[in-house]
Amino acid sequence: MEIIYNNVSYTHNAKTVLKTNVFENLNMKIEAGLITAIVGKSGTGKTTLLEMLNALIIPSTGSIKVGKWTINKKTSIKDINELRKNIGLVFETPEIQFFNITVKDELLFAMKCFNYQLDKSEKRIKQVLLMVGLDESYLNRDPYTLSNGEKRKIALASILTYNPKIIALDEPTVGLDEVSKKNLIKILNLLKNKYHKTIIVVSQDVDFLHNFVDYVHVINDKKVILSGNKYEVFTNVNLLNEAGINVPKVIDFSYQVLQKKQIKLGYRDQINDLIKDVYRCAR
Amino acid sequence: MKYIIEINNLRAGYHNKIILDNFSLKIKENSWTTITGPIGSGKSTLLKVLIGLHPYEGSVIINNYNLKEDIKKIRAISGVVFEHSDESFVAETVLDEMAFVLENMNLTKSEIKKRVFEVAKQLNIEKLLDKNPYLLSNGEKQYVALAAILVMKPKILFLDEALTKINNCDRESILKILRQYQKGNNMTIVNVTHDMEESLYGDELILINKGKIILSGPKELVYKEENVFNKLGIDLPFIVKLCHKLKYYQLVDDIILDKDKLVDIIWK
Repeated sequence: MEIIYNNVSYTHNAKTVLKTNVFENLNMKIEAGLITAIVGKSGTGKTTLLEMLNALIIPSTGSIKVGKWTINKKTSIKDINELRKNIGLVFETPEIQFFNITVKDELLFAMKCFNYQLDKSEKRIKQVLLMVGLDESYLNRDPYTLSNGEKRKIALASILTYNPKIIALDEPTVGLDEVSKKNLIKILNLLKNKYHKTIIVVSQDVDFLHNFVDYVHVINDKKVILSGNKYEVFTNVNLLNEAGINVPKVIDFSYQVLQKKQIKLGYRDQINDLIKDVYRCAR
Repeated sequence: MKYIIEINNLRAGYHNKIILDNFSLKIKENSWTTITGPIGSGKSTLLKVLIGLHPYEGSVIINNYNLKEDIKKIRAISGVVFEHSDESFVAETVLDEMAFVLENMNLTKSEIKKRVFEVAKQLNIEKLLDKNPYLLSNGEKQYVALAAILVMKPKILFLDEALTKINNCDRESILKILRQYQKGNNMTIVNVTHDMEESLYGDELILINKGKIILSGPKELVYKEENVFNKLGIDLPFIVKLCHKLKYYQLVDDIILDKDKLVDIIWK
């Protein structure tokens, strides 16, 4: 499902002294069936963009087109409810989206809300647990007592239950160790390749993102300042630095070699490939 | 070498589960020690004990004070920054937040003002002073939480996954500023984190697993034990991983943590 942000402006605390313009005429397109990253430093409104997608925040002016729906001030509640069945939003802090005292109830919650395949609910919740790499032993556990990584998996599983076409994750790697990050990449690739989901990841963890994303939007100063595939974006060192975003460490090293020694290494996702390049060039 | 923290035969845990048993550790004064380990290794329990928030058996001496008997004296010379710093904010402006602890220390108004502006300048957050701390970004909140502790000029600073929630750029700039501040003010830092990139800014590195110290020493030496980290699923800092691979291809002889130097050596 394609998403188009069309001239979106948003003012936070509009009628108070704390009035802040978050976006001014922001335009952005998110292609269906791809993994798209939205990066930007703290406070640039990345989370607001995700919340707008689910109509939790309505743009002050402009609109967002999600498939056949348009989100603006005129959108009816009925349309918003229909739209939300197609979007799974996982918040930065997974606990804030938990309501129930067992994982099983948590997973059933959205299915009940959206009246989605309730007759097959038992089968469905087991299926989604497997999709995120957990087993049935979690069903009777209290979601609040799980580890950070497990909570994130349950939060993701709880939105997968109603099979949304769009999955949006806000800072999914915060607090995760490297093993959990690698598992998350596997899950997201599976959701894209096997289940053809449109996936949006808001994150500042560029070393995580550049391993698997297809397309990247960089947000700074109330608008999108750079868009492109990961090769185009993550090699634009100057613009990323200007936007306060780190360059992935593998690319940063290649850039430093080029600057100091005038030797150009290839674009590498993995450290092993980078080393092979170094070996070839140094010997 | 003077040790500011000495732990002997520590035993601590939850309900019937013992997390740390027969645990001993010494931390050098004015050093920056990074404590890391997999989830459930006991690193957070250890920090909770050190800041007096967790019961324990055994001996914990901090700056020559016994933690069980002189906790108030220890708290007067130490500060903690947690992962969720905003939970501890009490004031409506950053300036008041930074001044809060000093007012409780009965300092004069002019001294409070002097210390607040001094630390704000060192941390480069002068522009935030009149803002509401609750409305700042995560990175800015951590700067403020840190500043609100540094104004009291602590001898020991404990960081409990304090930089986990913020982006890499903010994290690196906080770590750089903190390193500079630590050197200039003779402060001891104990940083509990699962993010090994943070260990690059420290002196000593301690790896804990299942309540036991697995590796400990100057970071450069600990980094050499790549297999131990791999077995525990802990990712070494990028530059260390790079050096291990380059060593394998005989392009470097040792672990070089300075990126410029590493580039020079490879292409010499």
